[in-house]
Amino acid sequence: MAKPPARKPKKKVCVFCKDKATYVDYKDTNLLRKFISDRGKIRARRVTGNCTQHQRDVATAVKNSREMALLPYTSTTR
Amino acid sequence: MRHYELMVILDPSVEERAVAPLIEGFLNVVRTGGGKVEKIDTWGRRRLAYEINKQSEGIYSVIDLKATPEVVKELDRQLSLSESVLRTKVLRPDTH
Repeated sequence: MAKPPARKPKKKVCVFCKDKATYVDYKDTNLLRKFISDRGKIRARRVTGNCTQHQRDVATAVKNSREMALLPYTSTTR
Repeated sequence: MRHYELMVILDPSVEERAVAPLIEGFLNVVRTGGGKVEKIDTWGRRRLAYEINKQSEGIYSVIDLKATPEVVKELDRQLSLSESVLRTKVLRPDTH
């Protein structure tokens, strides 16, 4: 039996590189919410498609944002 | 002189009218220390993502300023001593 054709991984382009962003703002919670799961966890790079540098910037921004209670550390509202 | 960004969360029991004078009072340290306050952006009341000191709301304010490191350190110390400040964060946006 033939194996189902391997799914071609779609190459995602980092949204920040596309916009030529230099700084990920920790105050922009609407943007950062795209990079956390509904549990409040930071999404992995293979999910977000960010480049190494920008994924790191996003992670730092999310952490700063959490410190200022703009984003939750955990959300167990389920 | 460096560019700093300061975010403060004030206690929600502070009245709306009292917010601006309170922040101005804190920023006097910057002015007397030869710094410059460039922008004060008060977001107003906002729900916190989690409780801080049993409070579920806070008054957010973002302040852009130019000052020497010593002045900012002193400002942050005074803010942390104040009862009406829940939390502060000082960042240098140009280092990122």
